[in-house]
Amino acid sequence: MSSSVANISKHATGSETAPPTSRKVLSDLSVMIGGQGGDGTLTVSDLLGRYFRKLGLYVYTSRNVLSRIRGGHADASVRASSHPTSAVKPDVDVLLAFDHEAAELGSKELGPEGVIIYDSSVFSTSLPNSYGFPFATLVGGQVGQPIYKNTAAYGAVSVLLGFDETLARQVIEERFQRRGAEALQKNLKALEIGRQAAFGVPEILQRWTVQPGEAHDQILSIGNQAVALGFVVGGGRFFSGYPITPATEIMEYLQRYLQPFHGVVRQAEDELAAINNVLGAAYAGARAMTSTSGPGLSLMTEGIGQAGAAEIPVVVADCQRVGPSTGEPTRHEQSDLAHLAHLGHGEYPRFIIAPGTVLECFEMTVQALNLAEKWRLPVILLLDQALCQNTVTSPPFDVSKVKVERGPILTSDELAKMAEYRVYQSTDTGVSPYALPGTPGVWAEVTGNEHDEWGHVSVSVPNRVAMMQKRMGKMTKAAPDLPKGKFFGPEDAKVGIIGFGSTTGPIWEAQDLLSQRRVATRFYQPRTLYPVLGSEVDAFLKSVEVCYVVEHNFTGQFANLLREAVPWHHAKLKSILKYDGHSFRSPELVRAIVGGA
Amino acid sequence: MVQSAKPVQPIWCPGCGDFGVLAAVKKAANELKIPPHQLALVGGIGCSGSIHNFLEVNGIHALHGRLLAQAIGVKLANPQLTVVAAGGDGDGYAIGMGHFIHAFKHNVSLVYLVMNNETYGLTKGQASPTSQIGFEGNIEHPFDAILTSLSIPVPNYIARTFSGDPKAMTAILVEALRFTQDHRGFAFIEDLSPCVTYNDTYKLWREKIQDVSKLDGYDPTDRQVMFRLCQETREKGKIPVGVMHRPSENEKDEIGLEKALLPDDLGPARADLSIDANLAGYTKLIRSVT
Repeated sequence: MSSSVANISKHATGSETAPPTSRKVLSDLSVMIGGQGGDGTLTVSDLLGRYFRKLGLYVYTSRNVLSRIRGGHADASVRASSHPTSAVKPDVDVLLAFDHEAAELGSKELGPEGVIIYDSSVFSTSLPNSYGFPFATLVGGQVGQPIYKNTAAYGAVSVLLGFDETLARQVIEERFQRRGAEALQKNLKALEIGRQAAFGVPEILQRWTVQPGEAHDQILSIGNQAVALGFVVGGGRFFSGYPITPATEIMEYLQRYLQPFHGVVRQAEDELAAINNVLGAAYAGARAMTSTSGPGLSLMTEGIGQAGAAEIPVVVADCQRVGPSTGEPTRHEQSDLAHLAHLGHGEYPRFIIAPGTVLECFEMTVQALNLAEKWRLPVILLLDQALCQNTVTSPPFDVSKVKVERGPILTSDELAKMAEYRVYQSTDTGVSPYALPGTPGVWAEVTGNEHDEWGHVSVSVPNRVAMMQKRMGKMTKAAPDLPKGKFFGPEDAKVGIIGFGSTTGPIWEAQDLLSQRRVATRFYQPRTLYPVLGSEVDAFLKSVEVCYVVEHNFTGQFANLLREAVPWHHAKLKSILKYDGHSFRSPELVRAIVGGA
Repeated sequence: MVQSAKPVQPIWCPGCGDFGVLAAVKKAANELKIPPHQLALVGGIGCSGSIHNFLEVNGIHALHGRLLAQAIGVKLANPQLTVVAAGGDGDGYAIGMGHFIHAFKHNVSLVYLVMNNETYGLTKGQASPTSQIGFEGNIEHPFDAILTSLSIPVPNYIARTFSGDPKAMTAILVEALRFTQDHRGFAFIEDLSPCVTYNDTYKLWREKIQDVSKLDGYDPTDRQVMFRLCQETREKGKIPVGVMHRPSENEKDEIGLEKALLPDDLGPARADLSIDANLAGYTKLIRSVT
């Protein structure tokens, strides 16, 4: 079905004089762009995202890349909707393929009315509804450099989707003006080449237009950026990390953000150094965090244990990826939870809290910092690849709602009224007031060895028992202070769904699809995963007859934690599991629930 | 005045070389008038790493091999503290070797004191990275931390001392502490500290030590000279001690980690975290995301 160059130019003239009138209006669409790494797929996805946002639409962009710098199959998908969304659209409307593999792989996700646009100077295909344009050849001839083929392809897609020409150009100008006048002119020319090519094909010209939305107040961000921003405004001032996919952006954003606020960001020599830098800084009184993913988390485990034993407040952001071992660095999973709940040798208290949206990433990073200092223990901010790296429109972050709560830090005035400063003093909450090192007139011993109230090493039997109870007691005493779950859907629904992290997006969408099929569901998004908030879980499970626990792992890790906490609800819990490296699509959840209910 | 943690009795065997180090730390802190609350001592794991328990000091007991990583965290969080990391040869040169090499490169202003007894004393006398061939069946070549540190071209302070000569050790420790208090960078001291129970080397080491400052051509500002002198001393069966590298006044680290990360002396631990104080900056930052 490839159009020839001659055909394109012939049709182009006529189409401009007779604008199409019978276009179908789309209010929720998905464009998938695939090719070899280096083909510029991410640039096209960025351009489309910018255009849709100018139209006031909600945008969700996901990417599927390999762990290599260049080459190999890479794709990205952009969803635009007049309603908030944070899930990949199950069926692709437009597939833009720069190579044969992208066409083959992407066509499997194409909806029944989906259209394939491909670069016919690279390959040809007989897949249905496919239209080839020799982007690389056209651009190579007229602009002189075939690398601008991706902008030409954006031009063709802009015609297919009935984009406003001025807005489509504006997007190019905004994206490329920083690269200089020459690059901008070449991209604008490539855009025009792509548009003219598409004008030659009436089936494309007449097909669709996109309905504008009202989401003009939104920002576009990723979870990793939101965590970095939450860290800064939450008073985080010391960060040490080691590059690891998909966590690295947190460190990179903080390298840009933190210094004006007297903050320090360090790229350490390894994850052992990162967590131990953080322990030293937190001991000295800085609000401190590291971020990592599975392999780094394994290396940090000993350090996190010291934070629990020595009562040093640290935050560890874990951007989960496919495990075990090196696993699949760029792919999505939620399989670190069981490890984290039982992290390390011996027993110590820790909180695992899990945001489900980009906005919650911002808010809950502040909470993580507050909880760590108020309870003097390690807090794990549990994230996942899709939440960390997929771009999504979000309500703007609100500094006015941020509260910095530091817990009991002793001032010189307070110390002057005290007879003794015992760093591990026994209290009702289990939290000992802390004097930052450097406070005049006081000092202390801080250690992960078992110790007495002064911090001196001790193997006394009554002391050991008291200290274990002091530390472990924080887990129950802190429960009212821990992030509460959120509930969605009718209260009287008998089908329950539990999911955390990025599964919130697909679950919300599945709830809509199920309600269209008259299946009412109530979705409980727990935001504290460990300790399991027993009363919250119990009340929810009492309200439903069956509950699907949606997770990206093989063994049903959160379902197992729930079974441990509320064993009497064991029979109601059914797991929906996915561990193929990709996030859930809503129809998968619908099938699992309707098929099993 | 509020009562803080009192020092406890050392766990060391009578005659342990570490007593000499403890005395030198006390004397040096006295001489420089460093009050206990201004001094942070990060201890490693092993006999020597318990030294902070025996002093009036902010003590933090690090994980095995991680004392330098924690000490760097302390110093970067509060640059006004005087920071000393103290541990043994197993802690520093075996499990902690990665951080050891990087510490010279980081060049953060803290003193690292390694009490080298050429054995793992606390676990009852196994061979360590510095053990001589034949000690407890050791068949690996002993590691020389001074030669290694001299090979890293960063203006660090480098010295070796001997617990049997507390006077010289105190003088070097004072100089090293001053070096770090002036924010000039990392100061590394390896102290030869005999383990009287598993590797009693007092007599041997007293015979073998060679004060490098007595050697012809001694110039602690010249790494090549010092590397050669140390090697020649070793070849003669002697152990070189003294100041091995003392950066000259014009050998300054202009690009080091500390200078790059800490624009002033406030540091992360003492920064004002209140929303009000930072509101303008926060608002600008948040609005940059569109």
